[in-house]
Amino acid sequence: MSEQAHEAVGDYRYGFHDPEQATIRFDKGLSEQVVRDISELKNEPEWMTEVRVKAYHHFIERPMPEWGNCNMLDDINFENVTYFLRSSNKTEKDWDDVPDDIKNTFERLGIPEAEQKWLGGVTAQYESEAVYHSIREDLEQQGVLFFDMDTGLKEHPEIVKKYFCSVVPYTDNKFAALNTAVWSGGSFIYVPKNVHVEMPVQAYFRINAKNMGQFERTLIIADEGSSIHYVEGCTAPTYSTDSLHSAVVELIAMDNAKIRYSTVQNWSANVYNLVTKRGIAHANSVIEWVDGNIGSKLTMKYPSVILKGEGAHAEVISVAYAGEGQHQDAGAKVHHLAPRTTSNILSKSISKNGGRSSYRGMLQVTPKAEGCRSKIVCDALMLDDSSRSDTYPTMEVGNSTADLEHEASVSKISGDQLFYLMSRGFSEEEAMGMIVNGFFEPFTRELPMEYAVELNKLLELEMEGSIG
Amino acid sequence: MTYLDMEIPSRSSHLWRYTPWKRIHPSKVDIVPSCETIIINHEGDCELKESIRTVNESNDISRVFLHECNDQMSTVEIDGKGQLVHVNLIASGESVVGHIDFQCKGEATIIIHLSGSATWTGLHITGNLEKNSSIGYAFVNELDSNSKLLRCEDWNIHRDSRLEYGELSIGGFRNKTDIRTTLSDSNSSLNQTVAVYGVDSRHDDHHMEISHMVKHTDSSLIMNAACGGRSHSIGTGQLFIAKDANNSNAGQVFHNLLLSQDARADAIPELEVLSDDVSAAHGAASAPIDKEQLHYLLSRGLSPEQAEALIVEGFLVNTFSSLKNKIISDDLKTRLKIHLECGIMR
Repeated sequence: MSEQAHEAVGDYRYGFHDPEQATIRFDKGLSEQVVRDISELKNEPEWMTEVRVKAYHHFIERPMPEWGNCNMLDDINFENVTYFLRSSNKTEKDWDDVPDDIKNTFERLGIPEAEQKWLGGVTAQYESEAVYHSIREDLEQQGVLFFDMDTGLKEHPEIVKKYFCSVVPYTDNKFAALNTAVWSGGSFIYVPKNVHVEMPVQAYFRINAKNMGQFERTLIIADEGSSIHYVEGCTAPTYSTDSLHSAVVELIAMDNAKIRYSTVQNWSANVYNLVTKRGIAHANSVIEWVDGNIGSKLTMKYPSVILKGEGAHAEVISVAYAGEGQHQDAGAKVHHLAPRTTSNILSKSISKNGGRSSYRGMLQVTPKAEGCRSKIVCDALMLDDSSRSDTYPTMEVGNSTADLEHEASVSKISGDQLFYLMSRGFSEEEAMGMIVNGFFEPFTRELPMEYAVELNKLLELEMEGSIG
Repeated sequence: MTYLDMEIPSRSSHLWRYTPWKRIHPSKVDIVPSCETIIINHEGDCELKESIRTVNESNDISRVFLHECNDQMSTVEIDGKGQLVHVNLIASGESVVGHIDFQCKGEATIIIHLSGSATWTGLHITGNLEKNSSIGYAFVNELDSNSKLLRCEDWNIHRDSRLEYGELSIGGFRNKTDIRTTLSDSNSSLNQTVAVYGVDSRHDDHHMEISHMVKHTDSSLIMNAACGGRSHSIGTGQLFIAKDANNSNAGQVFHNLLLSQDARADAIPELEVLSDDVSAAHGAASAPIDKEQLHYLLSRGLSPEQAEALIVEGFLVNTFSSLKNKIISDDLKTRLKIHLECGIMR
């Protein structure tokens, strides 16, 4: 990156932006007509248009949440957001056919390289729609369906109709209603019975335009006995005005299936990241959320699992880094509806330079959920006295046989650890970086190697200038 | 602002999520009923002064409501030389309200015992610990099983002072308790312990806020709830550490013991930390009765009811083990034992 460009972008390495070359761009603002126009443009079936319109009305009627960071939420101007922007007229299967300026962006982010090396499939979404999509042939032959959501709806409407809004109805919350009304892009995956997708599939989301709203919708269905690992990455340029990312992710793990969903969110510090992620786990299935929140202005994201079938298991590992002007309001929700279901939640957060990190969790055991076990651990590290760390856990236990534990702590970097590392020749900054990486280690070891390396680099970047 | 100008709190506010305002209000939410004053008897070396409270400084709906229901206030001045003050509160009639204010200096022990069969009881307790005070405080709720209770407490602890707080909640049908403590000067400390025993359809909602406003302040909160029948216990701990309140030590632990299939226990231990050089931790655990313990007691010839009562007693008595004031911990333990024994005999 040139020096000039670096100055403009600062430490946020994905903060560059390309000249915007939209083929279709809607005017700013939201109305029923905008919702209908998006649906018409995509040639969607009538039922989808109806769902969108109902969701739009619910969005308008539903008040803003009265919890969380209400001040930041109230700053969102929904009329100043572009709800649909098409950058390319079709989704390419060959990387060389992707328009040059978009291709350059993703090449700078390292997407094609990652695909060649270790991915089972990849979707790259630029603004509202996917611009590139591919899946390995062997997976296609096994019947794995991996499309961007728009193509998924066109080619497999029966599956989409069955599961769309089944896990996250549009009445769930204001932002789920907004997403359902104006969704565009995202991933659609169906893994047939007993098929194991060995290599992770990836989606990469990029907001490039100013005041853009990205509303992708992801639906992953793992049929009986199958397994899949889905990885998602997000970046945006740094603008002086705010962008909005409001996604909905729905996971369905049938009996004995396993879904792991890993996210490293590194939106620039002008993006509101208000996401609803939820999975339903049927008998003996496993849903794992591995969730990293590094960027954004305000993140409100609580990956959830509904343990519906006996013996199902949920695992949530979440890390958050809140720097200057950021509020990471993240957490996890697990609902134990069936007997002998188990869950583990591990949350780690770091606050620095006046940043605020919050853990907000919900653990519910219903009366029918006999013999459940759950463990929640929240650790927070504060690097200076201008930062803030909150924990808001809720445990609702309606069954006497449940065995639950929750523990949390807030601390600063231990002087002993720092002294030990510095006595071995590390500078204070290096020592602090190592302690932070060690603090996040339970998260990074669950990520694919390339992501873990990338995350460590990001943290090092964020830690620069921590001292003095 | 008056009560009728205030907005009825929505259930999205966690304070009102489990016990909505309309369920704890004595009648309809748009009415401020006229209430009798609670009967206050006291024993011990202290003075009790009656006055009219003209100004309400809070903007919390419960506190404003209690003030408007009845503006009588009883002030207890304790100039402590280690004395013991017993306050018996008797709630009788339809709706009764009381406001007691403790102004504490030196060392003293206060034991409050609330009983009676009023349909609805509103109670506001305020306390101020002047510097260098050490106060042991016990509150026992033994209202009749058909009574509703709305109770607010506000404590302010000044420099080098310590409050040892013990509570036993075994009475009433539906209770909403909101206890707020401010550690406003350095070296102030709070040790708060709460034991809740739920039977039948008893609903007990405890919200406890502890604010560390300055550096070198300590607090500890332990809440143990044993829930049987169709009872429901809620414990919300909100621990706030202000900016610059460095070298503060804060911890809160919630334990729930579920005794029956239909019992329910919720724990919400919250932390808000704005200062980095602090030690703040919280924990919560929920579990059924240990079958091995039950088996051991049954094999020694105890009936299932006796065995369960003994386990509950051990669990709840343990709540008060961290209290250094022996008078209050012994009083609370004795009252608990008597209550459990009476329960077996019934």
